[in-house]
Amino acid sequence: MTEDKKINSRRNFLKRGAIVLGGSMVASYLGCNPMRRFVAQTAEGMDLPADISSFNPDFWFQILPDNLVLLKSPKVEMGQGIFTGYAMMAAEELNVSMEQMRVEHANTASGIEDALGTGGSNSTLSLFKPIREMAATLREILKLGAAAIWKVPVAQITTQNGILQSGAQKMTFAECVAATKQWTIPKTPALKPASEFKYIGKDVKRIDLKTKVMGTAQYTIDSHFPNMAYATMLPCPYFKATLKTVNTAAAEKSPDVLKVVQKDGWVAVVAKTQYAALSAAQKLEATWDVPQMLQQAALEAMVTVGKGTEVNVQKVGNAKSVLENGAGKVYKQAFRTPFGAHAPMEVNGTVAHVTKDIAIIVLGTQQPSITKSLVAKALGINKKMVDIQIPFLGGGFGRKGMMGNVVETAQLSQIMGRPIKMMFTREQEFQNSFYRPLTHHVLSAKIGEKGDIQAITHDQATPDEVLKFVTGSTLPLKLLGADFISAGHGASLLYNIPNKSATVWGTEIPMPVGIWRGVGMYPNTFAVESFMNELAHETKKDALDFRIGLLTDVNDSIAQRTKKVLEVLKEKSGWTTAKPAGVGRGVSIANDRKSIAGSAVEVAIVEGKIKVLRVTQVLDVGMILNPEGIRSQMEGCVMMGISGALYEEVTVKDSQVSMSNFHEFPMATLADVPDIQTVILANAHEPYGVGEPPLAPIAPAISGAILDLTGKMLRQLPLKI
Amino acid sequence: MKISFKINGQETTLDVDPQMPLLWAVRDELKLTATKYGCGKALCGACTLHVDGDMLRSCSIPIEYASGKNVTTLEGLPESHPVKQAWMELQVPQCGYCQPGFMMAAAHFLQTHPNPTDADIQTNITNICRCGTQSRILKAVKRAAELSKK
Repeated sequence: MTEDKKINSRRNFLKRGAIVLGGSMVASYLGCNPMRRFVAQTAEGMDLPADISSFNPDFWFQILPDNLVLLKSPKVEMGQGIFTGYAMMAAEELNVSMEQMRVEHANTASGIEDALGTGGSNSTLSLFKPIREMAATLREILKLGAAAIWKVPVAQITTQNGILQSGAQKMTFAECVAATKQWTIPKTPALKPASEFKYIGKDVKRIDLKTKVMGTAQYTIDSHFPNMAYATMLPCPYFKATLKTVNTAAAEKSPDVLKVVQKDGWVAVVAKTQYAALSAAQKLEATWDVPQMLQQAALEAMVTVGKGTEVNVQKVGNAKSVLENGAGKVYKQAFRTPFGAHAPMEVNGTVAHVTKDIAIIVLGTQQPSITKSLVAKALGINKKMVDIQIPFLGGGFGRKGMMGNVVETAQLSQIMGRPIKMMFTREQEFQNSFYRPLTHHVLSAKIGEKGDIQAITHDQATPDEVLKFVTGSTLPLKLLGADFISAGHGASLLYNIPNKSATVWGTEIPMPVGIWRGVGMYPNTFAVESFMNELAHETKKDALDFRIGLLTDVNDSIAQRTKKVLEVLKEKSGWTTAKPAGVGRGVSIANDRKSIAGSAVEVAIVEGKIKVLRVTQVLDVGMILNPEGIRSQMEGCVMMGISGALYEEVTVKDSQVSMSNFHEFPMATLADVPDIQTVILANAHEPYGVGEPPLAPIAPAISGAILDLTGKMLRQLPLKI
Repeated sequence: MKISFKINGQETTLDVDPQMPLLWAVRDELKLTATKYGCGKALCGACTLHVDGDMLRSCSIPIEYASGKNVTTLEGLPESHPVKQAWMELQVPQCGYCQPGFMMAAAHFLQTHPNPTDADIQTNITNICRCGTQSRILKAVKRAAELSKK
């Protein structure tokens, strides 16, 4: 470190009377990692990893005057509990209590840039080491500070609950900060071994629990600035339609309307109140140019195996040849999954306060960095003048990794010269989204005369989910040239079958599609694991033992961890116990983000409808950070999985989504809650993803149970009997 | 038009369009933001609050309906309220956005169902949650019923 940097670092440290880890240090921790991680993970066919750079990092930690420690999180809290996980990591190395930890989102003006945003169940793993290293470094900095004050060797100083101690002398971290003029930065200290963990691996209550129960948690819609006006946009009623004419006269005369703004092909009403804006928008009369009237059947025809760009993502042996030649039986089936809606309870929306000095954007987004660039470009200002301030997200599920109305809201604020709040209506949320793409799958297997599976192939047809949102010219993305890291995620076949092949048929469709929780793992697991249930049924084998019998490669750690998950499922679900009359049992697994998830379910048909009675959910997370947080995510995935399996479906008619609000898009409710049992395993050395992996196995486990109960296979989501 | 009512026990007067949904009056005029917008059509329950002891979905009720009445939002329930305590104990929220509506629905429900079964809860509380906290909500409502008796 040069002398200059030392001075700068010191200034940063003392900023706002707080200890701050400056930019140069953050860079040294993270600077060269993202690309390495990126290449490594794409090579394994996983999803996009985190890419946290250090363009203008101000701080990660602050010691507050009341001896609380504030951690600025570059990853967003959307319910998955990442604030709690990060607080645990930091508390562990800082030697402070969980009660002393505070976590806020880093804002883009003063915080760290996270170029790839929050998603892919990657937040815990990607910062597990960096946060602990920075916390440990901060602890050592404080010890060095105390050593200088007390004039004792640093080795004599211990830390506990945010207190520095040497013999009888004690001071709080905050007192040390207040008394220290010159800081010394040590080398990165060694991290605690797992045997000394005080918090990691133990149940910890969500750090945001109280604020969310008391109703004080702030979301985008709750943000308010003095002199703020409310806006609402005229929704575009058709995919890719352009505004032809609009009559704004009646809207302009509507009570409390300030202005009707037309810009870049969109129209928005700005009013003194939310109600006035919504009422006036009803009075806009618009006509639209619609390039083509898209229908559901035509979209399904476009997304069909054999059409589009063929990318082989897995080839072991020669499945094609084995399928076409020799004795045995070829078993072939096709599967479909529908378009999906994210339906977060908090609609998309933005509060923008653009002045000549800074553009403050309050936005619940999974992509602060990309958003900042878009806003700067739209406003014609430097990126440094844009501050994306992130409140809690009222659910993300991928939707908030894509754009809502941030650009238009920022422009409205610039035009009106005052703060603007503009939320989607629920109808806009349903109809102006980026949908999980529908998929088509064809699976074939060669069943030998002894019932052995000699070959298996999986062809998936899917529109792109991720690449079109990635700007810039990152080399690996261009080389990949296909979308199998996202929409194709999970297309490959896990089981140790001697000949296997997986192919993704990438297509483009003229409607907006995008990232949805679990990306390709969700449809692919439904297709592949449903097919596995069929193969077990066809060969008259137990669906769970059949899978265990195909996980034979002792050198394949994923296969062996999966086998263990299945064995635990078998035991904990009571798989071998006598089945009550009218009950079917099904099983499924998913290998997702290096976590292994498995579900065993029991279903019945009640009043002509599928009813899920019990779900046993096993998740091997690699290494356990917060069991309580993991259970919460597993339970959530069970409910979202049931919802997707039994109810959810977005359809298209005349270039419009047929669903306008919740009455046309039924989701699981309290009435659908089964008896849920969760089991967490830890059979690796890092904490892997938790937010998405447990979702994928639910639907195929349910369809497997229906097969078990009725002998009938349902090959399309949602499952209808 | 001036409309006077009590909000969480305090007298207040608003000068607003009488047709403005109570939701926006509470959120934007009174800055009580626990009550959320979810659907605008009384379908999801995120905006649930109480008016004179009745449970209402405030997105679909005009402010003039509240004239002269007592409006209670989640902010009006004390921290010690059995529903809030049960929600803390069971660690119900994930994203948290729908929880105020669920808690207001639960608080009202428990007044008429002091010993609720799962079926009672499932029939009477029809709010929507996307994160999948429903299994904890079922447990928390029953726990709140227990706490109410202490």
